[in-house]
Amino acid sequence: MRVRFSVLAAAAGLLALGLPVLAHHSGAAVFDNTKKIDLTGVVTKVEWVNPHAHFYIDVKDSAGKVTNWNLELASPSILVRNGWTRHSVKEGDTVTVTGSRARDNSNFGIAQTIVFPDGHKLNFLSAYEDGK
Amino acid sequence: MRQRSIAGFTIAGVALAVVSLLAQAPAGDAAKAKGAKGGAPKGGVGLYQRQPPAPTGPAPKLSDGTPDLSGVWLGGGASDADISRALKPGDSVVMLPWAEALVKTRQSKDDPESNCLPAGIPRGSPYPWRIAQTPGIYFIVFEGNIHSWRQIFMDGRKHPEDPDPAWYGNSIGRWDGPAWVIDTVGFKDKFWFDYVGHPHTEKLHTIERYTRTDLGNMSIEVTIDDPGAYAKPFTTVGRARLMAGTELMEYICQEDNYDLQHISGPAQGPGGSTR
Repeated sequence: MRVRFSVLAAAAGLLALGLPVLAHHSGAAVFDNTKKIDLTGVVTKVEWVNPHAHFYIDVKDSAGKVTNWNLELASPSILVRNGWTRHSVKEGDTVTVTGSRARDNSNFGIAQTIVFPDGHKLNFLSAYEDGK
Repeated sequence: MRQRSIAGFTIAGVALAVVSLLAQAPAGDAAKAKGAKGGAPKGGVGLYQRQPPAPTGPAPKLSDGTPDLSGVWLGGGASDADISRALKPGDSVVMLPWAEALVKTRQSKDDPESNCLPAGIPRGSPYPWRIAQTPGIYFIVFEGNIHSWRQIFMDGRKHPEDPDPAWYGNSIGRWDGPAWVIDTVGFKDKFWFDYVGHPHTEKLHTIERYTRTDLGNMSIEVTIDDPGAYAKPFTTVGRARLMAGTELMEYICQEDNYDLQHISGPAQGPGGSTR
């Protein structure tokens, strides 16, 4: 049991990093973990749908150009069981999102962590990771 | 074996693989591993980090003495990442040459699971499922891919002589002591056993054994016998845990399967591992 506990503890640690856990397909088949994203923008839409919830943010670059990003979460059922609600991210919120970009380089990514201006955090499957 | 792992996702894959173990681990281990802060209850399981711990106590029985398996369960009888990962000691998965060749050409975008089609047997998911026992027929109702159900006839009937192939086949059940034994034939050859693409044929015959070992836990063994694709039968081992205090939720995969258009690459596990 000691070995198993070590493995479980390692898993908990990895989960704390917000690594992708996708339910019905391989995360590696969609997202490229070597293409990191770090985006700050304003939420324009939330889609509370299956198999994955999504939200969209407008990101303005230094030249003032605005790009809309589609950011993926786990399924609503997983999110709800882990403390999210469909109102956890709302249109108009300013958020900073880190994660990985789609392999096809579209403006689509997995939202591994979501940080709000007051410092509270969510991740792609849970509202509990920051312990607040 | 191909080696096309993407470095970062290899770690993620380990996470997911172990998450699957977490989903099947006793509540105490899961609770310790999580170390969740904040309000109770702790004892989360798998992806569900603050579900109450599994209840303790003896396995219950119905009024007629039949084991009571009813409830919402999380876990499954095999690794959904790679069916060869969780086998009965001494068993191995030996594909026939055509099956081995097929796995090497399969693409993730073609996985029926990714296309919101049924997962089949014994492929699990991180979503819970419910057993409902009614006279003469039991049901397994799945939250996850794809909000589907199985019916297991418990009235002593035999399989049809020539069943029309079906995603979940034709299932008849019986009790072997405390074990609920499901015998299934008549499969379509469509579903994959796992993310890496282990195939099967219409010759597939599965025997599942569900044993509620105590109030909160169930052991699951599934014998896979498919002489059309494998050189010999093999048996997978897994566990499920009672998800106390939760109900199934809606998961209509077809609603917005946006990812499918972005999937590329060979059939691979969550971390990019292939066969």
